[in-house]
Amino acid sequence: MEREEAKKRIAERFGGNVQVAERSPRRVYVYAENDVWVDLASFIFNDLDGRFDTGAAVDDRDGVEVMFFMQFDRDNYTITIKTFAQKPNPALDSISNAIPGAKWIEREIFEMYEVDFRNHPDLRPILRADTRPEDFYPAKREIKEDHETPRGRDDGVARADEVAGKPLKGKNP
Amino acid sequence: MVKKIPIGPYHPILEEPEFFELIVDGERVVDIEMTIGWSHRGIELLSEHKTWDQIPFLVERVCGICSASHPYAYVKAVEDLLGIEVPLRAQFIRVIVAELERLHSHLLWTGLAGHFIGYNTVFMWAWRYREPLLDVIEAVTGNRNHYATYRVGGVRRDLPAEEIPNILKLLEVIESKNSMLTKAILDDPVIHARTKGVGVLPRNKCREYGALGPTARAGHYDIDGRRDHPIDAYDKVNFNVIVCETGDVFDKAVVRQLENFESIKIIRQCLEQIKDTEPGDIWTEIHEVPPGEGHGMYEAPRGEVFHYVRSDGGNTPLRHKIRAPSFNNILTNEVSVPGNTVADAGLITAAVDPCYSCTERVGVVDSQSGSRSILTEADLIRLSQEKTERIRKRLARSRLGV
Repeated sequence: MEREEAKKRIAERFGGNVQVAERSPRRVYVYAENDVWVDLASFIFNDLDGRFDTGAAVDDRDGVEVMFFMQFDRDNYTITIKTFAQKPNPALDSISNAIPGAKWIEREIFEMYEVDFRNHPDLRPILRADTRPEDFYPAKREIKEDHETPRGRDDGVARADEVAGKPLKGKNP
Repeated sequence: MVKKIPIGPYHPILEEPEFFELIVDGERVVDIEMTIGWSHRGIELLSEHKTWDQIPFLVERVCGICSASHPYAYVKAVEDLLGIEVPLRAQFIRVIVAELERLHSHLLWTGLAGHFIGYNTVFMWAWRYREPLLDVIEAVTGNRNHYATYRVGGVRRDLPAEEIPNILKLLEVIESKNSMLTKAILDDPVIHARTKGVGVLPRNKCREYGALGPTARAGHYDIDGRRDHPIDAYDKVNFNVIVCETGDVFDKAVVRQLENFESIKIIRQCLEQIKDTEPGDIWTEIHEVPPGEGHGMYEAPRGEVFHYVRSDGGNTPLRHKIRAPSFNNILTNEVSVPGNTVADAGLITAAVDPCYSCTERVGVVDSQSGSRSILTEADLIRLSQEKTERIRKRLARSRLGV
């Protein structure tokens, strides 16, 4: 389905519950309210014949931005659908019952960001080792800030305080 | 009696660990449960600590076989964010290296599949002809794997003009040997009997489960990112997308074998057209990556690799999401394995060409008594090879009329 036609049909079907934006001829973004999230994904997959590709999430301070990528192979463009799962308990309805291929990526987003996908057929961690604590969600902003070095620091490059001769933390002076 | 048979997480013909629990009734598999994540390395989070230019070196280590595909998808994601085009010469070099990778990956799979069904001659042949291919890749990129070729804005190394005749010569050899292998596979009645109708993944299930690459195209799901979302020089070359009908193991092998010819065709066209480009013009300089997001796809040998990046304007990504094709394709085993025999289960799971490990454990659990016995890696291969042998003997007897 051509891009303009797809955008028009999404706007007609979901009205004010979605915002459609376009960054380039190959990239369309649809921002959706939580309430219409599953309907939107199903509509693009079933009615517009989009191909489900995969999903991703980004942790914002106030919630988790969840996105799924739907490909339109014959017309060479992607529709990215996005929604925002509000903290402190981010939750969304699962699209896995409509699109079985989303099962694993929803499990991954749950495991990494603690997004509760309601009605998921089997929502349990998919990648973590058995020994990892149950409440440890490694990609959550709060966890990352507690456990990681600041972003942008290359381990091979000494910091200014190291160059200045200050002892490294954890090492004998 | 219903039993459960765990396979893995280590498996002899596959390069990375995976765990399959087969629920069987007699010899027939009735259900399968899969567990992944045995070697989760946290590469996405590692990437957030690397600069934009360092990341290609990291992501080409996501997979030893797809060490062109991941950096390719990554640089396309960043270039999508930047909205830039790369020099034509760099586009051709990218495509040449990526297609050389597809050739060696498909030959590797053909060899492993041959070994698994008891055709070690196919295994020896395929790997024998893969070797000079790796030599050429080394000559072009400097390494057999992990090519360090791709960078945001272009490539790191020009293609030396003196290598072009060597590549063309090698392509002739590979083409003729691939013809021989293809003929051997397509004409062999034992391989037909052993793989046709086994592990069928129909088109509607390919779509529902997001199957990718040869796994999808074997089931008549006609998608190929090189044609559908052409990047770089892919819109400047002609090639066919190989699609089969039934989606069984045989079709998956056929797709890969025939795709080798298309890769050869693409490389030849690139080598012809690259002569008209300016040597040394291989990179567009990038000064900074502004805030924004982008995603890139590349049709790897196993299917589409997907990378998503988000920038806050710093020198590292705020978020980098990687989706390898096996993540989608392994899930399709939920459909393709049940209904088949235990002897076929290993073959079907291998037919999607996932990354597995070189060792294997197989345990048999009796769900009623709770007893558990562990089989060695040799046992599963033996089961598979014995089935091939039975078929071979049966066909031989029928030919002799006894």
